[in-house]
Amino acid sequence: MSDAASRIATPAAAGNLPSMSMVAELRALLGPERVRAHPLELRLYDKDAGITRGPAKAVALPETTAEAQECVRIARRYGVPIVARGAGTGLAGGAVPVEPSLLIVTTRMDEIGEIDVDSRTAWVGAGVINLDLSRRTAPDGLHFAPDPSSQSASTIGGNVACNAGGPHCLAEGTTVAHVLAVEMVTAAGDVVVLGGAAPDPIGLDLRGVAVGSEGTLGIITRILVKLTEDFPEVRTLLLGFPDMGAAAACVSGVIAAGVIPAALEMMDEGMVGAVENYLHAGLPTDAGAVLIAEVVGHPEGVAAEAGTVARIATAEGATTVRIAGDEAERAAWWRARKSAFGAIAQAAPDYYLHDIVVPRTRLVAVSNRVYEIAARYDLRMMNVYHAGDGNLHPLISFDGSEPGVRAAVHAAAEEMMVAGIDAGGVLTGEHGVGLEKRDLMARVFDPVDLDAQARLRLAFDPDGVLNPGKVLPAGSRCHDFDFAVEEAT
Amino acid sequence: MTSIRSELAKLLPAAVTAEIPGAPEAEIRMAPRSLDEAAAVLRFASGHHLTVLFYGGGTHQGMGYPVTPDIVLSTQAMRRIVDCQPDDLTVVVEAGCPVAELEETLAEGGQTAVLPEDATGSTVGGMVAAGISGWRRLRYGPTRDRMLEVLLATGDGRLVRGGAPVVKNVTGYDLPRLAAGSFGALGLIGRVCLKLWPLGRRAVTVRIDDPRRARAAFRPLAVVEDPAGASVYLSATPGEIEAQIAALGGEVREGLRWPAPIVALHRFVLRVPARLTGEAVAKVRHHGHAFLAAHGVGEIRFGDDTPDLGTLAELRSWAEGQGGALVVAAAPEGYAAAFDPWGTPPASLALQQKVKHAFDPLGVANPGRLPGRL
Repeated sequence: MSDAASRIATPAAAGNLPSMSMVAELRALLGPERVRAHPLELRLYDKDAGITRGPAKAVALPETTAEAQECVRIARRYGVPIVARGAGTGLAGGAVPVEPSLLIVTTRMDEIGEIDVDSRTAWVGAGVINLDLSRRTAPDGLHFAPDPSSQSASTIGGNVACNAGGPHCLAEGTTVAHVLAVEMVTAAGDVVVLGGAAPDPIGLDLRGVAVGSEGTLGIITRILVKLTEDFPEVRTLLLGFPDMGAAAACVSGVIAAGVIPAALEMMDEGMVGAVENYLHAGLPTDAGAVLIAEVVGHPEGVAAEAGTVARIATAEGATTVRIAGDEAERAAWWRARKSAFGAIAQAAPDYYLHDIVVPRTRLVAVSNRVYEIAARYDLRMMNVYHAGDGNLHPLISFDGSEPGVRAAVHAAAEEMMVAGIDAGGVLTGEHGVGLEKRDLMARVFDPVDLDAQARLRLAFDPDGVLNPGKVLPAGSRCHDFDFAVEEAT
Repeated sequence: MTSIRSELAKLLPAAVTAEIPGAPEAEIRMAPRSLDEAAAVLRFASGHHLTVLFYGGGTHQGMGYPVTPDIVLSTQAMRRIVDCQPDDLTVVVEAGCPVAELEETLAEGGQTAVLPEDATGSTVGGMVAAGISGWRRLRYGPTRDRMLEVLLATGDGRLVRGGAPVVKNVTGYDLPRLAAGSFGALGLIGRVCLKLWPLGRRAVTVRIDDPRRARAAFRPLAVVEDPAGASVYLSATPGEIEAQIAALGGEVREGLRWPAPIVALHRFVLRVPARLTGEAVAKVRHHGHAFLAAHGVGEIRFGDDTPDLGTLAELRSWAEGQGGALVVAAAPEGYAAAFDPWGTPPASLALQQKVKHAFDPLGVANPGRLPGRL
């Protein structure tokens, strides 16, 4: 076996190194303000919203694709690996460098191009903030459907890199369903557009693999997004159940009734308590599990479907069934759901958030396993779920300064992920593999599957310079599977 | 070749088949019963530098550059619905399963995989490989967006899994989407897991004279224009259907009355940004072609028994200038020499070649079929 997919870059032109330093060349290109190299400045960029840090050599903030392209070329000349990064709201270490790297930060590429209202598309810079895009398109009655909880800070480029989801991807799909094309700087320093505005661009769908590739296949600088028409009617239900089993039975009943709500979000008792303590949004704190269900669409259809959801909830023993009376109440409930993680920050200095996805009907079984594991390690854990998607977000809050607690958190985390995998699930639904889950990839995939992924990556990045050390574990490229080539030669 | 054929027959006696209905002539015809057997065929083909054409229902073999294979590999013996999980909104199905059979089974449980509606004779694997979506993509998105998992026998005979049978996933690269529309260039798409949708409680087809009136409809399944007018397809709760019909006007028919597929010696697909659908229809209509246009999508299917090459070239040039394409869907043998099946290859061709090589290093899987003769 070799480790080509994650090897460190070597100077492309050894013996012929330019006399200027990489930082000086970057400054000549972007000016001093948009190149950071002071250790204190680097500290601002060498981590994401998770719990790991990494070594940054310099930070560059290009404003255009051409500048990003030149940054890549400069880094390549110096043999420095490149890590692309948006707002740094990721949780899996995807934007945290492993080798001393050039960080290309996309936040200055924040231009929203002309909105094609009739085609419902727009070209946007990778650095555009998710919520800013929907605000901009609101006058045209359009929005960008993916709505991760981080949407007021996270960038579209980051959403694309991690194929972000959010509460409303149950009915509308994750980011990949809303990206028609990407403009990307390749590892070789070329600019290429993958995909296009017309349906089914001819040839292999490289756009599809670029989405969710966590900066390992190219630096995505601009994105052609698909916009979704706003819904004339939205009805949001707040449902309280005695326990998680009853809430999950309600979700099953709704889907069996042929209703796919725009969102089906669940919170456990601990999470509801933490959120209420933080926001006082009016969630029922006496419930064992709370479900927020939202149905959207035509007023007639919404009325009928909201009625269906309420009827099923009551039949499953809901103790609270409330329909948001106005937009303010609806917004309060959503704010409560989306600030779940902020609420935790109040409870303990550190937290560790999972992103396990299982076939939806296994949600309760896996959730029960997750509680057992947390209890065994004596860890404080709360849970939010994208219940319709089978996506669990167990959240462990802890104080990292306590001796031994970090090791316990990591050990418990691994056991929880394995519990999900054993139920036919995966490591991550919307956060990405990054660094954090990389070494568990071999639990999900056979060596031959990982080798295929490593080959795909090498096709884009033969020298392993783009976000090295991420997504695939070391040694994924395995020449044991080169059998047919050997037989043929 | 005779000795090679007997060598392969000795290796996989049960997979050798006498007949693959409709398939082109080839020295060797194989119908593996499992993905392992399919991978063994491909591994053998790679070892002997033989080319392989994958064959499902044959309904879309007219797309792309013609392949002259040494081996035709049919999915006719791999046609099981492996695992149907309506509560999880997923189904796992083998490539050779007929689309109609899958949709019939799913409809019994009130669900659909949203595969093409006029898929008589087509297989699930074939539709996925050709990247074909039905009319309902306006509402539910293209087929590729429902691809959750793929089992792929690569060109060099590896059995690779990508994705997982869950509705949301970013664990590793998205091989299921890469496989969709790959025309077998990476290997055989042997098994897929697809996301399902519930069928609406009531469905109607509303006939209108001007497709622009369809704007009054809220999230229709499809708006399809033909030379005589347009049909708006609705699926929702009974109350919503009544309200939508009142807003739309037009002649209402119960159920989804999909248009009959275009029958012509030559069939084409014009793909343009959605806003240009009307303009594209005007051009196609002007040249007297029979057509079906998916409004809101930007796909215009048309046919002609005696198309004029100059007209086609003009249409292609316009479409490509708008970021679209004019693709040949079916044509008599030899037509590729007169009119390119794909048109100008994509700008990412060099990358595409490398990706093809990563899965099919010896170029045995449907070689030369894709744009750029990938």
